[in-house]
Amino acid sequence: MSERPKVPERPLSPRLSIYRWQPAMIASIAHRASGVVLFLFVPLYLWLLHAMTGSPESFASAFEWLHSGLGKFSLWVVGIALIYHFCNGIRFLALDAGFGETREIMRSSARNVIIIAAVTAIVLGALL
Amino acid sequence: MNLNKEPGAAHIGTENWYQQRLSAVVLAVLLPLPFYLLVAVYTGSMDQQGLFDVLDQFVSRILHTILIIALSVHAYMGMKVILEDYIHPVGWRVTLIGSMLLIMSCVGIWWLAIIWAWGG
Repeated sequence: MSERPKVPERPLSPRLSIYRWQPAMIASIAHRASGVVLFLFVPLYLWLLHAMTGSPESFASAFEWLHSGLGKFSLWVVGIALIYHFCNGIRFLALDAGFGETREIMRSSARNVIIIAAVTAIVLGALL
Repeated sequence: MNLNKEPGAAHIGTENWYQQRLSAVVLAVLLPLPFYLLVAVYTGSMDQQGLFDVLDQFVSRILHTILIIALSVHAYMGMKVILEDYIHPVGWRVTLIGSMLLIMSCVGIWWLAIIWAWGG
């Protein structure tokens, strides 16, 4: 039935195991990862919103959950993801608009957003 | 019969590219707002009445609705691209993207219901 020649096994995207890791590549992968984190936070946020706008008791239980270990950890993770996705998103929009397209600026801006995320992780960890 | 096992281009790439960036700009403005509410409640600077004072307004409902639309578009297209890149068997890919669309629709409707329900 299949008369077409067999296609040789070739690497499919994304070719994580092939390219050497670069700041711009890490920034791109991290944009996806932080996007998935934000996506998964939506149901959790809705559950919290539902509780916070319910009875005074459910508001109190949502408040209590936010201050529990799991609640604080969730806020920490989603906070980093939000700040990162926001900053790198603006970086991507700037690149699409034609700003900062040289190799040097691509690398330094990628490095900068990664540093911002790392600082956010430390600051949020200290505050929460 | 020669079945094409690998779907080709959908030819809507430019529109998708543009919609992803347009929704990104809307989200850059609106998405920090719910996080601000969450932080205000977390720190205790906003009690339940304070939360209602913010949410139970026409402007808040409209902004929230725009946020939900932009977020749905942005999240759907972003997750779709990720699934297309990592999930190689076509059957799995189509099933997962379809399921995601179904679940996202339910979540979006629930969210809109929460937003528009207060105060009747």
